[in-house]
Amino acid sequence: MKIVKLLLLLIVLGIVSVITVMYSGIVDVAADEPHSELVYWLLEETRENSIKKAAESIEVPDLSDPELLLTGGADYEYMCSSCHLKPGQIESDMSLGLYPAPPNLAVSDESHKGHEHGDEMQSARKNFWVIKHGIKASGMPAWGKTHDDQRIWAMVAFIKRLPTLTPEQYQVLTAVE
Amino acid sequence: MKTLTKIALIIIPTITLSMTAAAHDPSMHAKKAEKADCSKMDHSKMDMKDPVAVAMMKKCMKQNEKSKDKMDHSKMKNMDHSKMKKNEHSATKKDEHDH
Ligand code: HEC
Ligand SMILES: [Cu+2]
Repeated sequence: MKIVKLLLLLIVLGIVSVITVMYSGIVDVAADEPHSELVYWLLEETRENSIKKAAESIEVPDLSDPELLLTGGADYEYMCSSCHLKPGQIESDMSLGLYPAPPNLAVSDESHKGHEHGDEMQSARKNFWVIKHGIKASGMPAWGKTHDDQRIWAMVAFIKRLPTLTPEQYQVLTAVE
Repeated sequence: MKTLTKIALIIIPTITLSMTAAAHDPSMHAKKAEKADCSKMDHSKMDMKDPVAVAMMKKCMKQNEKSKDKMDHSKMKNMDHSKMKKNEHSATKKDEHDH
């Protein structure tokens, strides 16, 4: 009986403190004010594991067809480069202003540490899932609502080569005719 | 309600909705987009086994069918014109695939 009472008390205390935090307004939601290290870690781990699990069983098609680079390139330039940048560009309003910040997809993974990237198949899977479904409470939209899987795989294929492209190659691949 | 208000009530949502429906058609991108700048391509450095090089060739050949003969193909490595035919459906031609 004593244990039950103690548990109940703890639960009530927990709920009360959550409500206090919620309604007091002490949580800073400003995008120009970074999370504390603890909150950052909690969110990052939650996100990484969620994506890993959700993307687990996605089958990666052949991504070597040059045609994919043309479709994916045009789409990337139009829909993604404002946030995720392009060869020769190091910042944009979006890349600086958003929090969490959109990763620079024009540089290779080695240049941004802090989370694992896995092998090629794994990152293709994860990228496909993220592009299709987006990431909650971040600037990353779910493109699957308006684009079919074929278009999304083309972008995955393009992103895979993006860090190796020169600004000139990027221009030719992404220009519309 | 005034007729004008009624018309506005119908027209504004209709236009807004039809615009979102069209917003994702790739041809929309064409309006403000620039042409591919093919003049800076250095063919002597292009390896035609690289999908990036093949894709760039395709883009530039499509862009300017007439001037394609002016390119100096002799300097390219591993040039295979069969891979660059103007067919849209190269994705289905899986047979000439090598890993
Ligand atoms: C409005 C800005 C914005 C646009 C536009 C945008 N993204 Fe993102 N994207 C983000 C943000 C922010 C993140 C990081 C989210 C996070 O860390 O929680 C992200 C994450 C990603 C990731 C995961 C990267 C990694 O290594 O974890 C991929 C892949 C991605 N975006 C691809 C795309 C593609 C492809 C497009 C275009 C179709 C696109 N994004 C358009 C903001 C954007
Ligand atoms: Cu990353």
